[in-house]
Amino acid sequence: MTAHDGAYPFRYVEQYTPPPAEPVTDVARTTFEHLYEIDPRLMRTWVLQQEFPNWDSLRIMTSRHDHLDWMHRHFATRVVDGSSVLAELDSPDTADPTTPDASGGNQ
Amino acid sequence: MTLSLDRLDQVVTALGTVLAPEQILTSKTDRYNRARVPAPFPVHRWAERLPDLAVLPTSTEQVAAVVRIANDLRIPVVPRDGGTGLTDGAVPLRGGIVVDVKRMNQIHELDLVNRTVTVGTGINMLKLNEELSRHGLIYPDDPASYPCSLVGGRIGTSGWSLIGSRYGHTRDLVLSFDIVLPTGDILHVGDGIGRKITKSSSGYQLKHLFMGHQGTLGIATRATLKLFPKPEAELSPFWAFDNYDDAYACTGALARAGVATFAGAVLFDEHKVAYLRRDDEAYIPQPSDVRALVCAVLYGYEDEVRAGGKRLFRIAREHGARYLGDEISAGDWAARHDRYATPLHGRTKQGQVVPMSWHCEDSAINYSQLPRVTKAWHEIIARLRRTTDVFDDWGMFAYTQGATGADYLTEIDVGIWEQQLDDAAWELWVNAKREIAAVAIAAGGSISACHGSCREGEVDLVPDELGRGFDVMLDIKRTLDPNNIMNPGKYLLDRAYPGSAR
Repeated sequence: MTAHDGAYPFRYVEQYTPPPAEPVTDVARTTFEHLYEIDPRLMRTWVLQQEFPNWDSLRIMTSRHDHLDWMHRHFATRVVDGSSVLAELDSPDTADPTTPDASGGNQ
Repeated sequence: MTLSLDRLDQVVTALGTVLAPEQILTSKTDRYNRARVPAPFPVHRWAERLPDLAVLPTSTEQVAAVVRIANDLRIPVVPRDGGTGLTDGAVPLRGGIVVDVKRMNQIHELDLVNRTVTVGTGINMLKLNEELSRHGLIYPDDPASYPCSLVGGRIGTSGWSLIGSRYGHTRDLVLSFDIVLPTGDILHVGDGIGRKITKSSSGYQLKHLFMGHQGTLGIATRATLKLFPKPEAELSPFWAFDNYDDAYACTGALARAGVATFAGAVLFDEHKVAYLRRDDEAYIPQPSDVRALVCAVLYGYEDEVRAGGKRLFRIAREHGARYLGDEISAGDWAARHDRYATPLHGRTKQGQVVPMSWHCEDSAINYSQLPRVTKAWHEIIARLRRTTDVFDDWGMFAYTQGATGADYLTEIDVGIWEQQLDDAAWELWVNAKREIAAVAIAAGGSISACHGSCREGEVDLVPDELGRGFDVMLDIKRTLDPNNIMNPGKYLLDRAYPGSAR
């Protein structure tokens, strides 16, 4: 079901009530999962924090991911996950003992 | 605006003999939109940078006709492509005609056999690659401004590519091009006379003369570019370190490893990590012992990327790196073009958010000199910061320029509060730029690896960097542009005209 079929009608108050903010550091906090924002106490003088409806905050975050996915596809057919390379590195079947010392003499 | 209305009418009438009325733009909006580039400047002086008019030619012949008229009437001409440069190359300093090449954005020929494409210089690389992708090909010139910069601007800047350690930079990727000289003559430059020749030993290597001239020697109109197979696979691991020294050592080792698919390695220092912690979802949650970052990038067929990746992961592990995970690694690399948009990263010394614009100094520095330059540059910005909240140290990174790790694009990012940038603060900044450039030269480096050295402050040291070569620049400028109409006021080239009132 979607917001358009009447099962979940749009309610203004709900849209402007994000989940309770949790501090993450002394300058940032989080509301939705993976959604971070600057601590409003730092936005009192020169830049005032804007209120966003929940759907818009989530839309911006989702669009951002869409953009990043698009950029990957634009430059290469697929992305190799580093974790899979690490797993191969740790596998006794694929260990390569011949890696030369690339440290140079200039560190 | 520098021309009287009568003089402007004369210019517009003359241009009307070679262009259609809709190609000649005189409105305030059209002119203000072509007066600046993203680099911060004192905005209360915006009007000093206005052109008198702009034109939108559609062919090399039209560009040549416009330049001939300008040369006859002694009107300054300023080439403008994407307007994304960071050293004011596209900024009119003496009014005149801005030649905006954005309508010359056609693909003229795609040669699938010789793997080249010939385009108008007004084409954007992203749009070009959307077309090339249908043929399994890519033109791998990848600046931070990739979504909006144009091929012609890349030539005028001698641009720097984020994957240049694998594919080369603009000077390597552009095989040849047509350029309209300041007299209106049309010249083709490349290796030899060929359009699609990679290497020639015939005569002077003129292509490089017309690379990075910041619009002072002419207007590139049509270019032939080298193409590559679109990569099958991309790998971009990001690693965290608890100290700069280990990260520095690791970066050098990654670059020296000789991995064929290696497209670049980047070292982010402690100031950059602190900056990212302000407002970047990848780094806000990182533990406090993350004090430096390293990223490596590989492109190619999947089997060779995996093989090279294993080698680089092993090197990183030997240097004490902690892998930051797939999501951050892939996401941060894909976001590499988004760094212009950081308006809320600025902070006063009290920590309040202020809207700042991004400025960067971009020297070329040998690996062995990176720690010394990093320390000296941060000290310069710290002095500025103690004086005023207009400036903010946004950290540094060092980025491999080539596959062997000899030297690095070394960049310090500085937030500048343009709304507060009065003449006194601007003078402080210009003096700091001079000091930053002096440090680079003293370290045996070059003032600029990718943007050019045209802006106030840095430009004063270009004769010091080039020595006798700067005199040769003056001789060439005077020969090719006898009336100093092509982008006057840049690179101290007015010195080529000692009797001039300018």
